[in-house]
Amino acid sequence: MRKHQSSHRSANGKNFIILPIIFSVLILGISCAVVLPSASTFITLSQMFFSDDNKDFSTDYTNIFVPVADEPEESSTVEEQPAPEPKTVPISSITYPKSGEQFGELIIEDCQIDDKLFFGDGNIELNNGVGLYTGSFIPGYGKTILIAGHNNTYFNGLKYAEIGQKVKIRTSYGNYTYEITDIQVKYYNDESAYDLTAETENLIMYTCYPFDELGLTPKRCFVYGKLVSGPQIDKNS
Amino acid sequence: MAHSHSKNKSVIKPVLYAFLSFALAFMLFLLSICLVARITLFSQDFMLTAMAECDYYSMIKDELRTQLKNLGHASGLNDDFVDTYVESLDIRQIETEYISAFYSGESTLVETNEFKQTFKAAIDQYVEDNNIDKSKANENNIIFLVDEAAGIYVNCISIPFFSVIANYFYKLSTPLNIAAVALFVFSLAVAAIIFFTNEFRHRRYRYLCYACTASFISITVIPLVVFISKYIEKINLGTRSLYNLFVTYFTSLFKDFWVFSGVFLFLSILTFVLYYRAYNKAVNG
Repeated sequence: MRKHQSSHRSANGKNFIILPIIFSVLILGISCAVVLPSASTFITLSQMFFSDDNKDFSTDYTNIFVPVADEPEESSTVEEQPAPEPKTVPISSITYPKSGEQFGELIIEDCQIDDKLFFGDGNIELNNGVGLYTGSFIPGYGKTILIAGHNNTYFNGLKYAEIGQKVKIRTSYGNYTYEITDIQVKYYNDESAYDLTAETENLIMYTCYPFDELGLTPKRCFVYGKLVSGPQIDKNS
Repeated sequence: MAHSHSKNKSVIKPVLYAFLSFALAFMLFLLSICLVARITLFSQDFMLTAMAECDYYSMIKDELRTQLKNLGHASGLNDDFVDTYVESLDIRQIETEYISAFYSGESTLVETNEFKQTFKAAIDQYVEDNNIDKSKANENNIIFLVDEAAGIYVNCISIPFFSVIANYFYKLSTPLNIAAVALFVFSLAVAAIIFFTNEFRHRRYRYLCYACTASFISITVIPLVVFISKYIEKINLGTRSLYNLFVTYFTSLFKDFWVFSGVFLFLSILTFVLYYRAYNKAVNG
């Protein structure tokens, strides 16, 4: 009798653990089976809002710009010698900048402009210097370089821009010189102001116009330049 | 024959009570989910507490200040002007009105008229104080600037998708209350059936204990999985304020599951102790 009583209590004791676990598995299983089919669309959509990386809210920027020395200028007295082949830089040797990185400097001495050059033209970039539109190309690539800056801060000096002035862009892979060829004022939505498909290297700097105006203006001042010197990027190497 | 009938009865009865116990556990689980939703997701106070806990208002103020300064850099306004203007805004009051509108089923569109008026007046004062030439303060450009600033203000104050879900959310509130009351009544009924139809007291407590323990395990698993996986912290939101609000809000929400876990654990232990005492009494008696 005592033995029977003991085994009965033992079975009951196990039930206190096993049955609730079985119940819980069933409860959660049934809940998932009911909820998942109807909520699967929302669950899939919600995956877009999650990532394995921690979100970076920092407003700091990375500087990958390491200045390189200017090439010594060719002596103008040796006129008989043939013109040297333009220098090239293999693309594999270039660290292509990421959005938000400072990758160079832009200097126009005549306009008292000496700014950090960023890849991208968002708030962080334009609060710290001037920014290259990421849909355009880096100097030396042989295409359009479109650079923006605020007219009240870093590109305020563009109001002194004149045709013939020199623009220097210094990057980690070479130093470039451009010459201002044209200055035009156009509306912000005037697509004739730039050609991003151009196959020749051309510099376009733009800022809001009129300068020192209070408020947001629909006009932009475009300053155009052509390449004078600087190494070309060899896209095949 | 009589022996076989009695044997069948003795098998069916525990199975029936186990099923009732399972049904009770399921209803308690659903009731807990409804109550957690009621006191968290559907509670304005819960949202406002989460906002206060994560310092949401001052973060919103900082973000508004930063974005207006960015706009100022593009439009000739200096940083001091933006600092002074943003400091004059009562973000807590504005956010509370916005949240109240959401929970009461009213429009969740952020009202911008007052902002536009005060911002425009502040710019006019700025022009006057700084003796800015009228030719350098074109009215159209300033109105464009004010509109852009209002857009930034709306983005900072509003919470993404709130305007989309507001109507559904408000309409769900009543069915949720009805469901909670119905689940409570059914749970009581099933518990009463288990309690009053068992002739032995220890068996009453045993089946109630199964239900409470199963509810405890089911309710505990949900926050446990969420907190161990750290899923909440992996949310990818555009601003620091929204991220902190989301993490605080959902951490608090899942912590509320612990409260129900605790209640069921207590009931589970209580019913087990009562069962044990009743069982010993029955055996010894």
